[in-house]
Amino acid sequence: MKNSLFLAALLSTSLLVAAETVQPQEIQISEQASSINSASSEAAQENQEQILSAENDILISVTGQGVAPMNTSSPAQAYALAKRAAVADAYRLIAEKVKGVRVDGQDLIKNMMVQRSTIRTSVNAMVKNANIVETNFKEGLCEVEMEILLSYSQFVQ
Amino acid sequence: MRSRNGNPSLLLSVCAITLFSLSNLFGFEEYLISYRYVVKDAILYNESLQVSHAMLPCKGHPTLQTIDLPLAKEDSILSTIKENQEEFIEYIHRLGMQVEHQGETLQSMHTSTTILTLPTTCFKVEINEISAKITPLK
Repeated sequence: MKNSLFLAALLSTSLLVAAETVQPQEIQISEQASSINSASSEAAQENQEQILSAENDILISVTGQGVAPMNTSSPAQAYALAKRAAVADAYRLIAEKVKGVRVDGQDLIKNMMVQRSTIRTSVNAMVKNANIVETNFKEGLCEVEMEILLSYSQFVQ
Repeated sequence: MRSRNGNPSLLLSVCAITLFSLSNLFGFEEYLISYRYVVKDAILYNESLQVSHAMLPCKGHPTLQTIDLPLAKEDSILSTIKENQEEFIEYIHRLGMQVEHQGETLQSMHTSTTILTLPTTCFKVEINEISAKITPLK
C-alpha cells in the first residue's frame, strides 16, 4: 500500500514536471509564430512601400551573373567577356522586375505518364539609365551589381 | 596710331582664326551606330558594333548625354571608338538597350538566350584636335 502510494506520488510529480517542461516550448512556439507574423507584416509593409508615386521613387537593385568561355586567350579577355554576359543578365533581371515575365508551360501526358514537360519564359523591354554599382570576378564567374532608379515622372505621359 | 589706321595683315590673320574656329564650331558629322550582343547560357556568344556615315542628314536634336573620347592617332571616329571601346559601350548601355530574353526548361534542363540591342541611332560627332565629342540625336 505504501509502495503504491509512493508510486502514485512519483507519477503525479513527474507529470507536473513534464507539464512544466512543455509549457516553455509552447511559449517558444508562440514566440516563433509572433515573430513570423511580425516578419510577414514587415514584408507586407515593404511591399506597400514599393508603390511608385510622385513622392516616392523606387530603387531596384539586381545582381547579374556571367561566365567566361573556355577558349579565351587571356584572363583579361575572359573578364571582359564574362562581364558582358553578366551585364546582359542584370539587364534581363531589371526587365523582369519592372515589366514582368511571360511564362508558357506545356506538359505532354500519355498513358498517365509525363512524356515531355516544357516551360518557356520570355521578356521584352527597353532599359535606360541603369548603373553598374559593383563588379566581382572570381574563378571565371563575373557578378555585376546593377541599380536603376524608377521615378514617377518617367511613366507619366 | 597703328591700330587706329589698321593693319591689314593683322586683320587678315584675326579673320582667318575666327573663321577657323567657327568652322570648328559647326564642323560636325553624323554617324549611324548600332550595337547588339547575344548571351547564351550565361556565355557571350556574339557581339557586333556597326558604325556608318549617315548618307542623309539626321532628323532630331542633340540630347544632353554626351561622351568625350580622346582622339585616336588615325583621327577617325572608327579608330577612336575602337581604342575606347569599353568606355563607349558602357555609354551606349546608359542610353538604353532593348532586352529580349527567352528561356526554356525542357525535361528539367534549362537553356536561355538574351539579346541586348541598341537600335540604330544617329550620333552627332564633333572632332577637334584632342577629342571626339559624340552626342545622340533624338
